[in-house]
Amino acid sequence: MPESKKNVLDVVIGYQEAVKVKEELAKTGSDFSDQKWATANTIAKLHPKRLTLEVSEVIDETESTKTFRLVSTGGPLPPFQAGQYINLFVEIDGVQTARPYAISSSPAQRDYYDLTVKRVQDGFVTHYLLDHVKQGQQFLSTSPMGTFYHNPIFHGQDLVFLAGGSGIAPAMSMLKNVFDNGLAHQFHFIYASSYIEDVIFIEELRELAQNHDNFKLTEVISRPPEGYQGITGRLNADLIKELVGEVHNKTFYVCGPTPFNENCQTQLDSLDVESRFVRIEANGPPKNPDQLNHWPDSASMEDEVTITITGKGSFKAKAGEPLLNSLERNGYSAENACRSGECSLCRVKLVSGNVFNPPEAHLRVSDKQFGWIHSCVAFPTEDIEILL
Amino acid sequence: MKQYDAVVIGAGNAGLTAATALQRGGSKTLLLERHNIPGGCATSFVRGEYEFEVALHQLSGLGTEDRPFIMRKIFANLGVMDKVEFVQEHQLYRIVVPGEIDTTLPASWSGLRRQLQSDFPSESENLARFMKLCETITLESFMMLPKARKANDEKMLKASCPNYIKYGMRSAKEVLDEHFDDENLKTILAAYWCYIGLPPSEIPFPDLAAMIYAYAAFKPWHIKGGSQAMSSALLESFMEAGGEVRFNCGAEKILTSGDKVRGVLTEDGEEIACAAVVSNASSIMTYNELLDHDHAPIAVREDFKSRRMGTSAFVIYMGLDCTPEELGVTSASNFICNTQDEEAVHAGMLTMNAPVSGMLTCYNFDDPSFAPEGKSIVSLVCLQYGDVWNDIPEEQYAQTKYEFSEKLIDVIAQTFPKIRDHIEEVEVATPLTMMRYLNTPDGAIYGFKQTPQDSELFRERIESISGLYMAGCWNNMGGFQPTYMAGESTARAVLKQLKSEKEELENA
Repeated sequence: MPESKKNVLDVVIGYQEAVKVKEELAKTGSDFSDQKWATANTIAKLHPKRLTLEVSEVIDETESTKTFRLVSTGGPLPPFQAGQYINLFVEIDGVQTARPYAISSSPAQRDYYDLTVKRVQDGFVTHYLLDHVKQGQQFLSTSPMGTFYHNPIFHGQDLVFLAGGSGIAPAMSMLKNVFDNGLAHQFHFIYASSYIEDVIFIEELRELAQNHDNFKLTEVISRPPEGYQGITGRLNADLIKELVGEVHNKTFYVCGPTPFNENCQTQLDSLDVESRFVRIEANGPPKNPDQLNHWPDSASMEDEVTITITGKGSFKAKAGEPLLNSLERNGYSAENACRSGECSLCRVKLVSGNVFNPPEAHLRVSDKQFGWIHSCVAFPTEDIEILL
Repeated sequence: MKQYDAVVIGAGNAGLTAATALQRGGSKTLLLERHNIPGGCATSFVRGEYEFEVALHQLSGLGTEDRPFIMRKIFANLGVMDKVEFVQEHQLYRIVVPGEIDTTLPASWSGLRRQLQSDFPSESENLARFMKLCETITLESFMMLPKARKANDEKMLKASCPNYIKYGMRSAKEVLDEHFDDENLKTILAAYWCYIGLPPSEIPFPDLAAMIYAYAAFKPWHIKGGSQAMSSALLESFMEAGGEVRFNCGAEKILTSGDKVRGVLTEDGEEIACAAVVSNASSIMTYNELLDHDHAPIAVREDFKSRRMGTSAFVIYMGLDCTPEELGVTSASNFICNTQDEEAVHAGMLTMNAPVSGMLTCYNFDDPSFAPEGKSIVSLVCLQYGDVWNDIPEEQYAQTKYEFSEKLIDVIAQTFPKIRDHIEEVEVATPLTMMRYLNTPDGAIYGFKQTPQDSELFRERIESISGLYMAGCWNNMGGFQPTYMAGESTARAVLKQLKSEKEELENA
């Protein structure tokens, strides 16, 4: 209070003493100017918004799989929890898009992230990465994120990983984490592949299994060559039980193509494994949303709909294509990362019309009320207008 | 260049109420939010089947439909009453000091008195006197004191605020000590100190009195869909009134001509012209980083020097595969303390030592629809100053976070021993998480340390930069009701400025 003006609060008992305390505080306090940018810098050490990464090496793993070793162009890379992914931004034929890839390298070192990428038959980005990306090329990415990792608060130490195909990538990182950090986990790795030629990292895995008592490797091939001696067939409850023994009080991690994940969930359910012991990695938008509950009867995947972006323009898209993909193809963009409905970064507001939200869209109760959708897994089953 | 009457930086509680009140008050307003969702800490996130409330524990100030209090009117004026649904809690809290105290207080002013008088018969008369004091000093400090200050009328103050004159500047501890002998009773009555973040010896008595009285008389509330529902409702109301919002778009600079606001530079590099800027960012960041001056104005720097950094929080969000009953929950809000020495609890908040006190809020206790059927959503909280986390090497961050979590769960498990057996989802937020999402120095959740000197009774509105307004917990109290109110009152000040500028133009 200015000295000249009488302060009515002076009659409150203790007020003048309290003012003196404030004056004392002012003598020893700071104007916080020495803290300039401290908040931003602290956050950037753990969770920078973007990373610029350079391909230092391209490693051929199998006919259909390569590992891209990405090094930082700045300081050390942010730490991550084994199992997490980065979202890699790419530009292909003028279209800016991105895909999340699990890091397959060990979190014990921060010089590089390895991304192990398998060709997706009718894919868009994997063909580009496998066919065109060379050493020295640079990419932007998000920092590591995702919730598919060992959480010591409730996952325990007895772990089973069911991996299908390229689902091996986060498993490799988790496995290396166990050895590099000397963790006391029991790690049973059940690796299901269609063909023996598709099996990734197998030499390394076999060697690790030989050298570590706490690591057990089981290979399962669904389409074995003639005379194959190993375990064959699809993963089912009986086989899981036979391989794992007591299924209770073990934490199961599941990562693979969507049908593989769904099958594992069904098999673990039939073994009465409680859901708190089952962690399944998200795996992109559903390929056949029209097969899911609540897909409107009147809509088909091939329906052409009009997408209008308030104040910006409009374009035609297919009902069966995730909204984020058609937005990107038409030169619009929304922030995104998991592209599986979980991270919520791609939320956009639906102004009019309806979309189909599959169960993958982990929407909030209020999102449904106020028309917010996760564009990465939203299917426009009729003409819509959105706000970007 | 795009032009607005006002740009609001940040869609936290105060940013949202400010933007909504501005737009509904006829000023063309742009709301900038660096994150992808409105709410700041008034938000939620989804893991598996669970939607976790981030920050709201008990909404105050609403009152019942029959006996409404100020927030009902404010929400109605902001156009959100038909967009949200409130759920009343029936207890204030359960407080447990293992082996010493285990009591649950009802959310009823008369019920509270009856229960405490029956539990502490020797303090019966003291309780009656104390509760009367809580009630009258709350009414005095909210209703009469502002009027007397505005009029700067000593006589009016003396006549209308006798209790405030006697007790207004005393600490909560002093007043509790003056009224009671029973240490357990004092501990029970002081439990809400955690909502301020300072021990009873350091908080002004009227602040504690207001919480006890307001929560008991006007009830504690939850919001269906969590605080995110309110944040989204406010945004909806703002947009319905014609307001424009940009997500994933922070402010880079507040642009001035001399000492007058002229616009905002966004993170995307776009310059926007405006007559007024309302900053919902921390005042430290607003003046030291956003403002396009080399140094903060002298009045601001002087003001900062008598402030101290406030507390952050460590929170564990848990989805449990059991019902609240199976867990042993009998009240939505639970305080569990290993000691009755609040000073010792506060001293611990400055360290990485195992917490000696924690809180558990169960969100589906009063309304089962807040969690999937047969399951529970709880959050475990202990307050902690954020600076102790700044020095932890980033490669040790995750492990440190989990180790500290175990210690907090230990505190809570004394009262809820089955909690570890039912965890289906967990997410842990440290002070650095608060820092990341709130963008506050040291992850502070209530702004500066809420000492008596932090109060606006010792501060003047800083008007060094004409057209720049602060809205939030950094120059008001922290918490939901205070920040909602701060935004609304800031908007009124801005509208007044805009109106007088318009009149000047018309008269020119």
